[in-house]
Formats: sequence, structure tokens, C-alpha cells
Amino acid sequence: MQKLLMRKRDQLTGLVFVLPAILYMLVLMVYPLVYNFILSFRNLTVMNFKNNAAVFIGFENYLNIFRDKDFQQALLQTLWFTLACITVQFSIGFVLAVFFNAKFHLAKPVRGMMLVAWMMPISVTGLLFKYMFLTEGGVINELLKVFGLMFGSPPGWLIDPKLAMWAVIITNCWIGIPFNMLLLTTGMSNISADIYESAAIDGCTVFQKFFLITVPMLKASILSVLMLGFIYTFKVFDLIFMMTKGGPLNATEVVSTYSYRQSFTLFNFSVGSASAIILFVCLMTVGVFYLRMIQKDEAM
Amino acid sequence: MKKLVVLFLALSLLLSMTAFGVAAEGKVELSLWHYFGTDYEYSDGSIFQKDIDNFNAMQDKVHITYEFVAREDLLRQYQMGAMSGELPDIGMVDNPDMASYIQMGVFADITDQLNAWGQLDQFFPGPLSSCTQDGRIYGLPHNSNCLCLFYDVDMLEAAGQKVPETWSELREVAKALTDPSVGRYGLAISAVKNEEGTFQFMPWFISAGGKLEELNGQGCVEALTFLNDLILDGSMPKDIVNFSQGDCNNQFISGNVAMQVNGPWNVASVKELAPDKNWAVALVPRADNGVHASVLGGENFGITTACKDVDAAFEFLKYLMSKEVSADFCEVAGKFSPRADSTASKDIWVVDPIFSVFADNMQYAMPRGPHPRWPEISTAISVAEHEVFLGAKDAQTALNDAAATVKSILGK
Amino acid sequence: MMDRVDKKLRVESSRATVRKLGMDFIALLVALIFLFPLYWILISSFKTDVEIFDKNISFWPRNFSFSPWVTQLNDNDFLFSLRNSLIIAASNMVLSTVLGCTAAYGLARFKTPGKRVIILVFLVTQMMPGSLLLTPLYLMFTKAGLLNSFPAPVMAIATGSIPFIVVIMRPFFLSLPKSLDEAARIDGCNAFTSFTRIMLPIARVGLVTCMVFCFLHGWNDLLYSMTFNVKTAMRPLTANIYKFMDKYGTKWNQIMAYGAILVIPVLVIFVGLQKYIIGGLTSGAVKE
Repeated sequence: MQKLLMRKRDQLTGLVFVLPAILYMLVLMVYPLVYNFILSFRNLTVMNFKNNAAVFIGFENYLNIFRDKDFQQALLQTLWFTLACITVQFSIGFVLAVFFNAKFHLAKPVRGMMLVAWMMPISVTGLLFKYMFLTEGGVINELLKVFGLMFGSPPGWLIDPKLAMWAVIITNCWIGIPFNMLLLTTGMSNISADIYESAAIDGCTVFQKFFLITVPMLKASILSVLMLGFIYTFKVFDLIFMMTKGGPLNATEVVSTYSYRQSFTLFNFSVGSASAIILFVCLMTVGVFYLRMIQKDEAM
Repeated sequence: MKKLVVLFLALSLLLSMTAFGVAAEGKVELSLWHYFGTDYEYSDGSIFQKDIDNFNAMQDKVHITYEFVAREDLLRQYQMGAMSGELPDIGMVDNPDMASYIQMGVFADITDQLNAWGQLDQFFPGPLSSCTQDGRIYGLPHNSNCLCLFYDVDMLEAAGQKVPETWSELREVAKALTDPSVGRYGLAISAVKNEEGTFQFMPWFISAGGKLEELNGQGCVEALTFLNDLILDGSMPKDIVNFSQGDCNNQFISGNVAMQVNGPWNVASVKELAPDKNWAVALVPRADNGVHASVLGGENFGITTACKDVDAAFEFLKYLMSKEVSADFCEVAGKFSPRADSTASKDIWVVDPIFSVFADNMQYAMPRGPHPRWPEISTAISVAEHEVFLGAKDAQTALNDAAATVKSILGK
Repeated sequence: MMDRVDKKLRVESSRATVRKLGMDFIALLVALIFLFPLYWILISSFKTDVEIFDKNISFWPRNFSFSPWVTQLNDNDFLFSLRNSLIIAASNMVLSTVLGCTAAYGLARFKTPGKRVIILVFLVTQMMPGSLLLTPLYLMFTKAGLLNSFPAPVMAIATGSIPFIVVIMRPFFLSLPKSLDEAARIDGCNAFTSFTRIMLPIARVGLVTCMVFCFLHGWNDLLYSMTFNVKTAMRPLTANIYKFMDKYGTKWNQIMAYGAILVIPVLVIFVGLQKYIIGGLTSGAVKE
């Protein structure tokens, strides 16, 4: 009986700690979700806005969106962008985290300085890289020339549909690598050095230490880094909007820029909402998957 | 720690309250949002704000407070304001955009006040049409402009060329003035994928006899093919797909392009940043078998539906668009007045070597729309431009697709 | 025998030194490549309007000019914008850290019912793209009369920061040993004081990291601040970016100066707190 009371008390205390944040989020986010949800089932545009003449059209918006070639392209590109960025950011971030974890003179200062990339406002970073990627007058092409890596005419990073996505991916990785590195470092600091020492005594190699100690003990951190990274990258908007606005020729169009354009440039409000809901549903699926994974680890 | 937090929050609240000013007693307070830049002393924003200050000073019934809101931001605010009712009392809007916002109920019908004012007949029909919908008027055009060909006189002379008048001549001259060894192109226009790109494309297809209702007709195809030929010749940089008109101007100022098609608001900055440059303007070259054409730009002002005192706001509008104020503003800001009497009252548009050419070109300037779904039409056009300039489609195919979209929009 | 051991130690220590120098070199290379864009933003901000468009790119300004910086700092609204940025950033830091850490702690240390659902809620609220939250949030704030105020953007920004803190701090709190809990109870703490007096100080490291994140999140915000606060007097520094992208073309040197100015206060804070952030990270939260 005592145990049951204690358990109930434990649960209640936990709830008290969590309640403020949850209530806050629910109050602020439920209305936007519901608003967009309802709007996506109507056909609100600039023409019927004033007279409130928009009608319920069921799933028609969704069907039209999925049939729209531009959207299909945007969705595929969002996936490609996200996967490419996460892979690069995570692997390089991990390597750097391990590297800078070692004890040498420049470890701490350099690691610290690299964080500045992540601290800059994305709008500024976007503009900076837009300036650096200019075909003529951009420093990246200049550097390629100087180092003899230029074959033929200077690549039009932001005007060639085949290259634009790479330019954006590179920029996003530049921002994301320090972030990944930092979070993995935080996780690594929780691993006691004793474990490594006893492993060394047992005769483990560097690789064994990495894969048998570091990775498993970092599992929680790795999962949260990957999950957060996925959500933020999938949602990317500011960066692409500043650099290319989704161009050239939709080569860098992602679901969020498609959505924005529908709502704010073309005044197809309902279509904009519907495409945002689609983005949301995609992320939900991944989120549920993440939950399954962490559930296995911790006794929930 | 908690005490610090509370103190900090209290301080922030206090600080935030200092941001609100005290309203003047007894006057009608009106808010106005605009996107005129205030970079230079001569820039339109500086003069515009002086106009408002004068208005505030010369009478004591109405007081106008103005806010600069960047264009993209402002359009978004209008849209959300249409839903929430949070709008400024008076708002500025680019002329092709106004139709959409009228349709959304952002601007108030002031036809009766305008008719009572009795000066509507002085306004040129083109600019005024952008404020009109279904026979009612929702604002007044504030200033107009059009596009002309800017060219560097020295470069032209050095290459032994004369000012091009037709497209064939333009093609020749542009090629002659292109010099890869110094990284110089013959011509630049703006083909960025938004309203600016469409704005810049209009003179070309109108000149060749193209029509909006038939975008895949012979005239439009001819125009798009011609512009693409200039790129293929190497006379125009492919980068124009990312050049705004301001970027084009910067390229012209720095000598990276010998000619550009641009508007009169750039005249002052060219004069200031390149004082030693020997340059002039000419009419936009016409299609070989076509007419001279240009496109109408400019901004309008309207009273919004959120304004509680339309009469007070209208007092300001009458002042702003009076013959003298309009003439003075446009003279200094390098724009054109939408009023016939203002235009006639100043020498600059007859005598000045640069502005007289622009003034001449104004007679050929055609408005865009007006149509509430103009943004979609505009997008179709600039997408077609991009597809052709980036080599994804040929002109006829690209325009076929664009024409299908536009037909479905205009049909409704 | 001692000589041989001595010699071995000395060889090993010099090998270690060489290795350390090698790593220093690699680190320097990494820094050079990675931080080049920052170098670029800095020197571009000292170039003249004309030099910016010159096709011959200069790696050092030919005509060193302070004018972009002067233009930025002379801007009438600069001090106001700076104040606004500070207020928004600091408020978000406080709000998000308080709400986020308590929630993370509750999820980590207690058998809170519906944990899965709660975490899902936090995640899910992250999944709406900001540009579409704009209109409904705007409508909500209009009805509440919160436009052109500080609470509006701060509250909107916090919806992004709080879940972030929850996801980051939860594993952190999970790793703290149960023995700390028991020790705190023995000392007479209840759940709340155990949290504030024992756990938080130990988690100080992660806490500072979170606070820095939240501050930055608020400092760097553009969309919300710009949309909810139209009055120039209420806008933060980020909103000024559009002043340099108007119809007179993109002035790269001004934009670079503006970007540099935006980052400097962040750098100052970061350097000041580096001891906590970097030093603390490597010492670990767990002291056995």
C-alpha cells in the first residue's frame, strides 16, 4: 500500500513538472494546427476571400497537390536535401567531436570558434553564401580557380538547376556540423574516462573502443541529434528562401517554400495549408518511429 | 536566482512600455505604411516623408504617422490584415498588386469622395486603371515610371556603334560591346523569378505584338526567342535570372555591362556612384516589324477598410496627389506624375536629356493587368522566361505551358 | 633498468608531443577551411560599394572603408533595434529554459504517466513550418491585443525553443545517478527543492548550453518578430535586413557589415561563457 502511494505521488510530481510546458505548447499550437487543418479542406483563394464564399471540398486540395508536378518535385527534393544534409552533418560532426575530444592545445579554442557558424542568423548566413557562390564575383569560384580546381567555365552555383541544390546543401551543412558536433560532445562528456581505461587495459583497439563503447553509450544523444536534425532540416525554409527562393526552376524548391508561395504569393490559402499539413504528417511518422526507438532503451 | 528572473522580467516590461509614444491631443491620428527607401537624400523615401511632415505641419486636424515596411513584408501584412482587421489607415501598394488586395477587401471604395473632389479627369487612364475594379475606384496612383535603355556612350563610340533602335541593331551592338577579356557584357535585363522579371519582359513581347490572352502567339515567342538569342550570343549573362533591377544597375555602374534596360529611379544613383561615366538613355529598342513599347510601373496609395475616419484620410490623399505636390515629388525623385497637369508644369520632363526620353517613352507604357489573380499570371510568365534562359525548354513549348495557365485564369 | 624505463617514457612522451602537434596542425587546417566564410564576411564589410561588384576579387580590401559600418551604426533605429533584440532574446532564454528544463526533468526522473504521448506532443509541435504558423498565431495575438509588443514574438519563438530543450536535456537528466536523489531526500528536500538545489547546479553545464541556445534562437529570429511587430521602434536588429535589399540592389558590403554586427554580441557572450560551455562539457556531469 505504501509502495502504491509512493508511486502515485511520484507520478503526480512528474506531472507537475511537465504540466507548465505542455499546457503552454497546447495553448499556442492547437489553434494553428486546427486552423490549417480546417483551411486545407476548403478552397479559399483571393477570389472568394471577401465574401467568405469558400466551400468545403474534402480532400480535393490534397489530391491536386499530389498530382502537381511542382509539389512532387518539392517533396522529393525535401527528402533528398534532408538525407544528404543529415548524413554529412552527422558523420563529419561525429568525427570532429571525437577529434576535438582529444587533448591537444588547439582542441578547445578551435572547437569553440567553429560554433560561430551555427550562431549566426540563418538569414545572414544565407546571404553570405549567396554572395560567395556568385558565378562571377563569388569567392568560391575564385578559390577554385586559384587552387587549379576549375575545369572549363565557372560553375553557376545558383543559376544552374543541377548545381543549386548542392550549394544549398553545402551551406546547410556548414551551419549544421558545429551543432551536431556540440551535442555529441555533450553526450561524450557523460562517458566516464574509467571505462576507456579499463578497455585499454583489456587490449581494445581504437576502433573497438569507438564502436563498442562510444557509440552504444551515446545512443540516446545520437537519436536525439538525428531526430532534431531531421525535423529542422525537413522544415528548412529561411535558408532556401534567402538563397534561391526555391529556384532556379524549382531546383531547390522544398515543401515549406512551396507552401509559403501558395499562401503568400499566389493567394491559394487552402493549398498552402494543405501542403503544410502534408509536411506535418511526414514528420509525424518519423517522430513516432523515434519514440519507438527510445522506448526500447528506457523503461517507459 | 528567482528574484533576478522576476526583476529582469519586470525591467523588460518597463522597457517595452517606453516604446509607446503619447498621442497628440484633439487630432485625428492616422497611420501610414510605405516602402519607399530612405537610403539617399534624394531617394523617394526622404522626399515622401518630407511631404507628410509638411502636411502635418500645415493643418491641425489630422496627424499622420508613417512606418517604413519592406515591400514583401508589407504585402504579407496586408494579407493577414485582411483577415484580422489590423491594417494601417493608409497604405502603399505596387500598381499590379493592388487588384488582388482590393479583391480581398483591404482597400476602401472612395469613388464618391473622388468624384466630389473633381480632379479625376487630370489622371492618366493607365495608372488610374490599376486602382479600379468593377467600375469603382479604391485609391489613387502616386507615381509612375517606365523602362528605357541605358547605355554607356564611351563604350558605344569606342566600338564604333550607334544607338540601337531595332532588335537586329540591338543584337549587333550588344555583341560588339561584349568583351570577355575584361568580363564585360553588352546588355543586362532583369529576369529574376518574380514581378520584376515579368515587368522587364513586358516591353519586349508587347513590341512584337504579343498579347497576354495569347501568350504562345507569334509575338511573345519572337520576343522570348530574341532575348534568349542574346544570351546564346554571349552578349547577356545567364546570371540575369538572378539579377534584380537593382543588381542590373549595379552592374551598369561598375561597367560590367555596357547597356541595361531599367527605370528612372536609378538615374540618381548612377549619377552619384559613377559621376564620371558618360551615359545616356534611349527608347527600348522595338521589334524589327513592331512598335515602340514600354511597361508601366509605379505605386498607388489607398485608404484601407480598417480606417475609422475616411474623410480625414482623404484630406491627406487630396494633398498628396494635388498638382503641385505630385509635380514636386516626381521631379526630385525621378518619377513621373500620373497627373497630366503636373506633368505639364515642370520643365524637367521636356528639357532634361535623360528624363525627357523617359517622358517620351511613357506614352508607350502599358499597365499590367489589372487582375486580382495577376500574381499567378506573372509567375507563369517569369517561369517561362526561366525555362528558356536556363535551356530547359524552347520558347514555344515554355509559352504553350504558360498560355494554358493564363487562359484558365483569365477564363474564370 | 631505470634508464631503459626512463628512455621509453621519454620516447613515448615525445611521440605524444609530435602527435599533439600533428593534431594541432589538422585542427588549424579544419579551422581555416571552416572559418573562411567568417573571414569573408568581415573583410567584405570593409569594402567600398564599387569594390564589391568588381569582377577581380580582392582577398583584402583595396580601399579600406569603414563606411558600411558607419551606415549601420548611424542608423536612427540602431539602438532601439539593439534593445529590442536583447529583450526578445533574454526573455526567450528565461521562458524557454524554465519551462523546458522542468519538463525535461519531470520526464526523466519520475514515472510520469503518458510519457510517450507527452514527448510526442513536444515533437509534433515542432513539425509545423514556421511560415504557416504565422497566420493563425497572428490572428490569436491580434485578438489578445498583443501585436507590436514583446510578448508576441517571444511566445512564438518559445514554441520552438521549449521542445528543443526538452529533447536535449532529457538524456542529460536521465544520466544523473539515483543516488543523488536519495541523498537529497535524506537532507530533507522535497521534489522541487531537490530539483533547484541539487540537480540544477550539477546540470549547470547542460543548463548553460540550453540558455545559450535559447538566447540565440531569440536573437536570430526574423519571421516572427517582423510579422507581429510592424512598428520600427519594436523591431529587432534582424528585421533591418530588408533595408539593404531594396530596389537599389543588394549591397553586399552593407549586408556583411550588418551580419557582422549581429554576430558580435553573440560572440562576446560566448567568449565570456566559454569556460562553462567548453570547459564544462569535457569535465562531464558525472563525478563518481
